[in-house]
Amino acid sequence: MNPTNPQGPVPDPVPPVNNLEVKAALLLLLLLTLIVGSALYVMYARGAFERTQRLVLMSDDSEGVVAGMDMTFAGFAIGKVAQLELAEDGNVRILVDVPTKDAKWLRSSSIFTMEKALVGGTKIRAYSGVLSDPPLEDGAVRQVLRGDAAAEIPKLVAQVRDLLDNLNNMTGEDAPLQQSLANLQLATDRLKGPQGAMGLLLGNDDDAKQLAKTLGNANAVLARTDGLVKRLDSLVVNADRQVFGQDPGGSGNATGGGLVGDARTTVQQLNGLLGEARGSLTKLDTLLVDAQGIASNTREATADLGALRSDVDASLRKVDALINDLNRKWPFARETEIKLP
Amino acid sequence: MIRRMNLLASMHNTLLRWGRGVLGAWGAWWQVLLIGAEIVVLSLSPSSYDDPEERHAIMAHLYRASAPLLTWFLVLSALVSLVLIRIVVATALSYGLSQYALEVLVRTLVLELIPLYAALFVAVRYTMPESQRIRRLLSDEHRRGLRRPRQQLLRLDMLPRALAGVFSVLLLAALSCFIALVLTYLNVYGFSPWALADYNRSVGSVFSPAVSLIFGLKTLFFSLAVAFVPMAASAQPDAGGGFARRSDITEFARLLSVILLLEVVSLMGNYY
Repeated sequence: MNPTNPQGPVPDPVPPVNNLEVKAALLLLLLLTLIVGSALYVMYARGAFERTQRLVLMSDDSEGVVAGMDMTFAGFAIGKVAQLELAEDGNVRILVDVPTKDAKWLRSSSIFTMEKALVGGTKIRAYSGVLSDPPLEDGAVRQVLRGDAAAEIPKLVAQVRDLLDNLNNMTGEDAPLQQSLANLQLATDRLKGPQGAMGLLLGNDDDAKQLAKTLGNANAVLARTDGLVKRLDSLVVNADRQVFGQDPGGSGNATGGGLVGDARTTVQQLNGLLGEARGSLTKLDTLLVDAQGIASNTREATADLGALRSDVDASLRKVDALINDLNRKWPFARETEIKLP
Repeated sequence: MIRRMNLLASMHNTLLRWGRGVLGAWGAWWQVLLIGAEIVVLSLSPSSYDDPEERHAIMAHLYRASAPLLTWFLVLSALVSLVLIRIVVATALSYGLSQYALEVLVRTLVLELIPLYAALFVAVRYTMPESQRIRRLLSDEHRRGLRRPRQQLLRLDMLPRALAGVFSVLLLAALSCFIALVLTYLNVYGFSPWALADYNRSVGSVFSPAVSLIFGLKTLFFSLAVAFVPMAASAQPDAGGGFARRSDITEFARLLSVILLLEVVSLMGNYY
């Protein structure tokens, strides 16, 4: 018997389905709707249908920044990192897409920070202090301030290591602190000894005894000093009485009789004397003014006298000449002979 | 001398067995690739849909591969999603990292788990039983001395089942992802509509173009693997030329290895 090839598909044991074509079409439509809807939803969720403006943040390091991460303002995501690129000067250019409806939160005075926490990713934040400033223009380039908590850890560890080294040095066997503690122990042992603090301060018993003796002498000196002070006290009382004339009751009033009271009356008398002297001086002053007037008169009289004298001189000369003329013309002389040699 | 000869013979036999095993495995994988390629060619050629009977068969299989599975799969998927969402949200809250819970959930549930268990569900419930049915028929025909032409086998029997398997995986995965996203929102934010913008932004930040492409390709290749691997195994004759019944576990292990390979490749694409 020659084998004949079978015809038809594998028989289906399941009964046929009513309205199969409609149901299959519905299922196909459902799948198509789901796939297209998912694609549209993802595009919407990624902001493909939003109008955006570009912001360029400059940084020296882009560690932790990835395309797609958010930029937040007051905790709200207002932008998305679109791209990272290296600038010509080696800095990093972080291109951020900010939806136009959220761009109002960014102003020309806004500050941008990039923080890297210990847990979680890097965060880019925007701060706008003055919301009345002009809005940030499209394509603006701003420097981003970086703060890295993890970068502080090595510094902290180095400081802690230094601290621990110092602590080790302080607590070592031959460290000064240990030696000080040992000395302190020795000192407290001596404090507990028979001589106590005195023994600790002076170092040996002889000196301690000497100090006790010195203390006894000092006590005696103090007793004598006390007596001396008492005597000095009575001396001061006497001096008070002598100087201020205090009564024994000690009321403090200078009632007179004392040195000070005498001095006060003397000063009062001296004051009177000075007043009288001032009157005498005033009189003397007027006298002097008068004398000055007399002196000036005298000076003028002296000048007049000079002129008078010159007049008198001239008159005398004239008289002398007249006499000579008279003598020549009228010989009144008794001896008129001329003696020849 | 005899011992040395025995040793040589034993080594020869071992090598022979090992070589046959390698050849058999290679042949099996080649058969999978070949039948898969043939089904893809057939599915893309318009002549495959000319005959009304063939169209009807395809629609019947599309319906039977998805509609009966839909209810229970969605219930199970919602339950698993709910449990995972609660675990992740509670853990994230207890560590004070609730801002990362959404991203973790979308990445683990939607991107990784749902396509995987949708593919396995369809394989277990539809493509593997159907491939066993084809193999049983081929075995019967072989016993009766009949031989089904390869073109007929591919076109009338395998193509509708493979297309139905692909369709079912895609539909179940898409529906399940939708439900998981809705459940995630409800679990994290409750019934308030005011967090939708924030939620959309978080989901959108996960679905970058590369991740979306890898997710789509992975789901598509999962569905192709679920459709082709059992079909190819059903048409592969034994060493004696017959079509003896094969263990379900063996077939499932082969399918699982392909799916795991795809998963590893997708993970490398996503995270390296």
